[in-house]
Amino acid sequence: MIYEQTQHEMLPHVTHDELARQNFVQSLKVHLATAVSPGNKVVYEKRAKPRFEREHKRAPQDRHDVRRVMKDESYYQTWSALLRTSQEMMWDSVAASVERQLPVLIAKAKRNEKPLGSLTLNPQLPIPAYHTAVDIHCQPGAYHTETTADDVAAGAIYDRAVHVYAMGRMGPMNDDLGASLAAYVKQQYPNFQPYRILDMGCSVGHSTIPYVDTYPEAEVHAIEIGAPMLRYAHARAEVLGKRVYFSQQNAERTNFADGSFDLVVSHILLHETSRTAIRNIIRECHRLLKPGGMMLHVEVPQYHGMDPYDSFILDWDTYNNNEPFWGTLHDMDLVELATSGGFAQEKVIQTTIPSAFKMARSRTGLFQGGDFGGGGAWFVFGAVK
Amino acid sequence: MAKKAKGKKPTFFADPQVDKLMAIVMALAGEVSVLRERLDTVERLIESKGLLTRQEIEAYRPNSQAAEEREQWRMEYIARILRVIHEELEAVEWGETMPESYEAAVQAVSS
Repeated sequence: MIYEQTQHEMLPHVTHDELARQNFVQSLKVHLATAVSPGNKVVYEKRAKPRFEREHKRAPQDRHDVRRVMKDESYYQTWSALLRTSQEMMWDSVAASVERQLPVLIAKAKRNEKPLGSLTLNPQLPIPAYHTAVDIHCQPGAYHTETTADDVAAGAIYDRAVHVYAMGRMGPMNDDLGASLAAYVKQQYPNFQPYRILDMGCSVGHSTIPYVDTYPEAEVHAIEIGAPMLRYAHARAEVLGKRVYFSQQNAERTNFADGSFDLVVSHILLHETSRTAIRNIIRECHRLLKPGGMMLHVEVPQYHGMDPYDSFILDWDTYNNNEPFWGTLHDMDLVELATSGGFAQEKVIQTTIPSAFKMARSRTGLFQGGDFGGGGAWFVFGAVK
Repeated sequence: MAKKAKGKKPTFFADPQVDKLMAIVMALAGEVSVLRERLDTVERLIESKGLLTRQEIEAYRPNSQAAEEREQWRMEYIARILRVIHEELEAVEWGETMPESYEAAVQAVSS
């Protein structure tokens, strides 16, 4: 099933050539994920693994062993170079389109006379080092960079680029992560009625909106460190008629009172932090939750128990797509992480949930670099307080 | 707006010039696809409206204004195709040419 992106009022318009340029990147990514990337496993089994075994007199034990031997394989080199190039072309094709119409987008974002929700920015908020060291997943300027007053460029670029990146498999509203988790909570905990919900690291609010729809009685808050993301997120939520209270805050330490929330969620936030920050975030979740409340974080699966090749191919982004914390997170002991943050061991949740758009085209059924959402399922880590 | 993402760009081939060439070739392939899509739109519209014949397209020659506009378009086109070279220069300017500069980021968030 092909999911075209919903052309809501804030989504940047595309000229004929801009759309064709983005279409090409998306088609290239589908081809790489379905027709090229799986070949890496063949190369590994037929060439790289036997070579490693000859040289080391043992089988490769972990993703590092696999990476050391695969980096010399010509097929892997070509796939990697093409995948990295597709990522750069994706940002380039979307950014050029947004830059052309930026003044119009800024004006649209400011035009909120009677907002349903709210936007609270904090220009004094320090941008953490894990967001300034490198531009995460190669988006030039990342989430936080502003080049003009009231800038919304990073948000506008992200909204369109996520659809290209995920090859449409995140659904017409790019909300697969939130929609999948909200549906899971509703089904798994039918008597759980959250009155206050917090989405941490919300970017443009793709995954925030499903909670407004799933729990219409709830007050939904969303925080994010990047001002241009938040301005766009607020404007987007308003044109969609969804009430969300956005604020510029770091999830490590927020300004909400103890026990403010029944449900705290995040969607692919944890891998974009650091070893220090993630502990602060889990501790903050514990502080923010009411007794009986729940934190749930959506990610891709942990490496523990995974075949060395599978963890290697899923780990591509750590070294090649400016995701420096990706690998470290996926090696972490999440039970230890949760208990160190104050949660009881027996209240820790680790499970896999189905994607809300599992019928989307070009699902590979694999968790592999550059094929985000290909698996048709997500990993969920959380705990009940 | 910066064109290049901050962070040392990985290379995959024994000769990094091959990485560069790959990026150039793919940009070119992308633009061929863009062109093909536009041409397809035009031909389908023409066909549906019965406005032109294929022979008229073959016989067309641009006047001076059209020729200038085409030149302007080609300049932008070439800049897009050679993006990777321009970004390499930005990396040099930002001091990201050493492999350690990315390793340092992994270490910083993992320690």
